[in-house]
Amino acid sequence: MILQDKIALVTGGRQGIGRAIADTFVDEGALVHVCGRGGRPDEFPKEISWQQIDVSSSGQVADLASVVGRCDVLVNNAGVQIVKAVADTTDEDWDTLMGANAKGVFNVCRAFIPLMNDGGSIINIGSISGNVADPGMALYNASKAFVHGLTRSIAVDHGPHIRCNAICPGWIETGMLDAGFDLANDPEKARQDALNRHAMRRFGKPQDVAKLAVWLASDAASFVTGQCYIIDGGLTAASPLNPGLF
Amino acid sequence: MGVLEGKTAFVTGGTGGIGSAICERFEREGADVIAADLTENGGSGTFHRYDVTDENGVIDTFKELESKWAKLDILVNAAGIEIEETIENTTLEQWNRIFAINVTGMFLTSKYALPLLREAGKVSPAGASVINFGSYDGYIADPGLAAYCATKGAVHALTRAMACDHGPEGIRVNAICPGYVDTPMLQSFFEGDGSGGDGGDIETLQQAVRDVHPMRTYGKPADIANLVNWLASDEARYAAGQLWVIDGGLSAQVQQMKL
Repeated sequence: MILQDKIALVTGGRQGIGRAIADTFVDEGALVHVCGRGGRPDEFPKEISWQQIDVSSSGQVADLASVVGRCDVLVNNAGVQIVKAVADTTDEDWDTLMGANAKGVFNVCRAFIPLMNDGGSIINIGSISGNVADPGMALYNASKAFVHGLTRSIAVDHGPHIRCNAICPGWIETGMLDAGFDLANDPEKARQDALNRHAMRRFGKPQDVAKLAVWLASDAASFVTGQCYIIDGGLTAASPLNPGLF
Repeated sequence: MGVLEGKTAFVTGGTGGIGSAICERFEREGADVIAADLTENGGSGTFHRYDVTDENGVIDTFKELESKWAKLDILVNAAGIEIEETIENTTLEQWNRIFAINVTGMFLTSKYALPLLREAGKVSPAGASVINFGSYDGYIADPGLAAYCATKGAVHALTRAMACDHGPEGIRVNAICPGYVDTPMLQSFFEGDGSGGDGGDIETLQQAVRDVHPMRTYGKPADIANLVNWLASDEARYAAGQLWVIDGGLSAQVQQMKL
């Protein structure tokens, strides 16, 4: 159990990637706090503490910091997605998306960096969309690029005390992915096309991301900082142009 | 007056798809141009028969050039080939050949051009300009082009190294990384095994290729020559050690799923 007795906070851990990270941290011996905007979900694992806060509020994040206290591992996973191009994006969209994905990560880092023990590890969830654009997701793409930039800055400014890295997932099997395919003209064909664009011929699972998070959280990664690691089954290693799939 | 007035330029692969467009543009901008290549095409520039893999030939060429020009302002390393295979189907002979042309050839030409480039670096306030041909394939892979992708990755690293080593001598070194450009090489790629274009109707294939680009077209050799021309000009005096992707936005996006 490589995270034995470490104290970890995972933001946005109700489901999907955040939940997989929280569960895997517990399996590896960590004491885990999870926060989310809603109340404690039904049948949430009893060994994980649930804190109801909104990361976009610095006041609520300060309250969270006083509850959690010192910690070793911080995972900034909370985020939202809005499918809009720039010209269609409203002020409210900006506040919602950048509030969670950009300001939220900043709020939590600012509150917790002083509370982290020596050798602590911050893991931010970035995205391949912060490197290359997903169509119609302008602010989301931009918010993830913010996360990548902040990750490097924290690594540079707050080493050697703590490490800070980002994980950039590609297509991960969550409810969001299925919803996307359901909207396609031919959902099965769309799914097959997407699979063919992955060198590994499958989508990621939340556990794939969680295993990288465990490694980055552990002392095995003690020389790793300031990096944005892509985990996408080879999707972005290939050109967007793939004549074999025309 | 053209932006390259009074400059001398040596373009390897100078009669190829992109190379000949560069020679044409350079000439129009007032440069004295040598189109160095294996075969003549009757195009722009003074043709000079040139094999980038032949060290003695390269040495002789630049000796000759020294008495002719005394300085070289612009070197474009555009000679290159493509092998449309996965590594499994690539023979050692093919592998060695593509590296000999795309990488070693660039090394040899640059190495023996250096004394003349240095002379240009001394007299021109904007320095001499070397423009290497990388590719967006040096960043992300096209299927069935393994050795080609590897040579372009090598070009990118060599470009940065040359820029570091020779910048202080007034020599700017940059690479251009084209995406899909309408050349004989592109047609050859469509016909290759790995691309999946084999057997496909070329019109349908071309339309599909255009549709994947944010600009809804692929490039023309003249588009590439525009950027080469800028990097060669004095306006680019502060540009060095960089890899200039020019691909109609293709690599700015993640793969476009058919939803």
